[in-house]
Amino acid sequence: MRVFFEQLVNGVTVGSFYALVALGYSMVYGVMKLINFAHGDLFTLGSYLGYTFLVWGAAWITERAGLWWGVLGAILFAFLANAGAGILVERVAYRPVYRAGRLPLVVSALGMSIFLQNAIMAVWGPRFQVYPSDLVPVASLRFLGLSLPLLKVVILFLSLGVMFVMYWIVEKTEFGAAVRATALDREMATLLGIDVQRVILFVFTLGPALGGMAGVMNGMYYRSIQFSMGWNYGLKAFTATILGGIGNIPGAMVGGVLLGVIETLLAGYIPGGGAWKDGFTFLILILVLIFRPTGILGEKVAEKV
Amino acid sequence: MGVVFSRPRTGRFWRFVPVLLGGFIAVFPFLPFVNDYWVDVGFFVGLYGLLGLSLNVVLGEVGLFDLGHAAFYAIGAYTTAILNTTLNIPVLLLLPVSALVASGFAYLVMSPVIHLRGDYLCIVTIGIGEIVRIIIVNNPWGITNGPNGITGVGFPTLGPFVIQTPMQFYYFVWVVVAFVAFMLLRLQKSRIGRAWNAIREDEIAAEAMGIDVRAYKLLAFTLGAALAGLAGNIYAAKMAVVSPQSFLFMESALLFCIVLLGGLGSLPGVLLGAALVVIFPEVFRRFASFRLLFFGLALMVAMIFRPGGLLPRRREILELDGLDVQGFSAEKVSPVRIGQVSLKEHSPVQVPCELDPCPLLEVQGVTLRFGGLVAVNRYNLAVYPGRVTSLIGPNGAGKTTLFNIITGIYRPDEGRVLFKGEDITGLKPHLVVARGIARTFQNIRLFPSLTCLENVLTGLHCRGSSGFVSTVLRMPFQVQEEREFVETAAYWLYRVGLWEYRNELARNLPYGKQKYLEIARALTTGPELLVLDEPSSGLNERETEELMEFLQRLLQEGITILLIEHDMNVVMGISDWVSVMDMGSKIAEGSPWEVYNHPRVIEAYLGKEEEWVGSTS
Repeated sequence: MRVFFEQLVNGVTVGSFYALVALGYSMVYGVMKLINFAHGDLFTLGSYLGYTFLVWGAAWITERAGLWWGVLGAILFAFLANAGAGILVERVAYRPVYRAGRLPLVVSALGMSIFLQNAIMAVWGPRFQVYPSDLVPVASLRFLGLSLPLLKVVILFLSLGVMFVMYWIVEKTEFGAAVRATALDREMATLLGIDVQRVILFVFTLGPALGGMAGVMNGMYYRSIQFSMGWNYGLKAFTATILGGIGNIPGAMVGGVLLGVIETLLAGYIPGGGAWKDGFTFLILILVLIFRPTGILGEKVAEKV
Repeated sequence: MGVVFSRPRTGRFWRFVPVLLGGFIAVFPFLPFVNDYWVDVGFFVGLYGLLGLSLNVVLGEVGLFDLGHAAFYAIGAYTTAILNTTLNIPVLLLLPVSALVASGFAYLVMSPVIHLRGDYLCIVTIGIGEIVRIIIVNNPWGITNGPNGITGVGFPTLGPFVIQTPMQFYYFVWVVVAFVAFMLLRLQKSRIGRAWNAIREDEIAAEAMGIDVRAYKLLAFTLGAALAGLAGNIYAAKMAVVSPQSFLFMESALLFCIVLLGGLGSLPGVLLGAALVVIFPEVFRRFASFRLLFFGLALMVAMIFRPGGLLPRRREILELDGLDVQGFSAEKVSPVRIGQVSLKEHSPVQVPCELDPCPLLEVQGVTLRFGGLVAVNRYNLAVYPGRVTSLIGPNGAGKTTLFNIITGIYRPDEGRVLFKGEDITGLKPHLVVARGIARTFQNIRLFPSLTCLENVLTGLHCRGSSGFVSTVLRMPFQVQEEREFVETAAYWLYRVGLWEYRNELARNLPYGKQKYLEIARALTTGPELLVLDEPSSGLNERETEELMEFLQRLLQEGITILLIEHDMNVVMGISDWVSVMDMGSKIAEGSPWEVYNHPRVIEAYLGKEEEWVGSTS
């Protein structure tokens, strides 16, 4: 039973990375109806930016401000830098293609993804990079008989906190209502005086920023990062998005966490499950879609005939 | 009748392009600068061309987002590798076997998910692609040899002749590409190709025109998978090795780019896209690790400057100058004639009617709820042949919903719909239209990027029977059927005054003409009952009058009409019977004048008298 709960905590932690990446996917999808294939690579970019920050600057900060501040600085740095990268990606690859319709946009996104991935490889090299490990205390938290590494707990609460803030912004603020309205009916939102350009800017800034943050946390959790890992994360995040109900922001979070838990439990309990887990993930996704074609939290949208 | 088929209006030059291109491909290996290395590059252009053509069937023709196409390619390759290395079956014999296995697999896995829309289908195809790769990596029962793959696949042999040099493989793949392209060209210009395109343009309208959307989507997937299976076989034979590394998600994404780079649905475009995707990295080879960087950039630049692809598909232009449309008469190409021929096949049992005259359409106690809302409440309606029946009522009364029940888009919770005495409740729309009920939509639903003629030809889908084999072989009856189709379509286009617009894309027509085009499309299905949803909306007074005259002529020709209408001039002018709906229920029916003066009707439209008193006091 103890093992089960530890696995569950692992699952939720991994799931919360997926959820953070999925949030960006889901917001961009909701507003633009675009499958942003470059999103996974922006996640990788964030991970590498955080890595560079930790290698060069974190020790300096940690010495002066105390433990943890270096790590938080890296997360913040990746968050801000990725926000800028997100704006740039939108300007260069998407804005000129908006009018052409959805399919050219998908190809442009694929092109951007290939470009980013190879640019990261050109800058940081094709080999694995390893996050420094001496920045946080190696300690464990004892809780109800469970032994949880401190780092894991901090990462978990940080990402849950960010998700909570996101939920609050999107569901409770006026601007969040504007984002949701734009996602539902862009034309109508424009007519009602919503500045759709601002909404687009918002999703393309915040989405990659959250992804970058998840990238750093992912790096600290798994330690090693590689230039091509974005594909897989992008795919996972897209899966989480659909699982939760595409364009539905709470759905993306639920989908992400659920995906992490399913994966971890499959890998932990089925003999040899580790090698099969991605296959199972997709199988579950397909089954969910057969029985609930619009995802877990997605609402049925009847097409007006 | 001297019908001139498929003569593109484009100049002589363009007609020679395929010949020149074919000639170039044929002599390419003998050109002076071409060594074995470039012959191999040429081979891969052909291989990716074949894969691009296979994905184009699904993505280009039907518009289904397939980002897992490499799965079918992998299955073809592994089928060949496994059967050749274990059972020693000749590789060439495995070419059709690989295609069959891949298409069978596609049919099995796509059947349960084919109803998913757009991006949901996209993620499912990605999932299938990943699942197939993961299964291969995990080496079930030791048949795929895991990550190392299978080595030692033999060369294709035909008697004493062995395909093994780069040049032999080059010609082998291009001969297959030529056959496939030839087959796809024939399909494009046929009933099947039009059905695919119609689904891409508007699924609901396609279904309402008699196209079995589900079946045609599955056909596209099975055909696409079969072609990918062919490519897998050739790949396995060429490399002598297959390993899961060749079938990553990237491969599917690359195929997606090939189709869009070239132009959706354009066969020469797809081949050009394949050439670019294969040759580009070769040219940039000396930049080593930067070549993919440039490739990514090139994709973006291409989409920014040529979003429709480099060689977008041109719609088929039929001149049909030899067609004497004025000489046609209703008897000669009447839709009813075609309708009756087919109706015999579709409804062998004729239930005798007890009522006299027997209603053509009978709606009996139909109820439909959306959640807690009762959209249609125990509605009864009888439509008698040779008359105009109108359904009126305030906005949101449930009129269109009732139309959707009649035409099969919704299935009612209770009640029955009888057509000519037969129960058609819950039949899918494509079966309803085949029985003889055709419809138009409240917000025009044409196939915007098909020509007017193609739009109208789509209406004839349910009257045809030519299938895959007869189209590819161009059998005499298929040619005959196509000829009759064009004549009937031309007749109705002429009747609604759109003959001169026949080669214009539907989306370029002005609103009023689009309405007529939609009516013409419905009429070509050969209906006995024409169901029109607000035909006069958006038309000015003169246009409305023309429309009424047109409808009256149809009536004289034996077509019964059921319409939803808000324009009281139309309702009063041509209706024989009016049924009034409010909040899903029938509140009155009778002759137009009876209904016009009915207190409950006035109340429904204008509110209760007391309310007026109440609100003023």
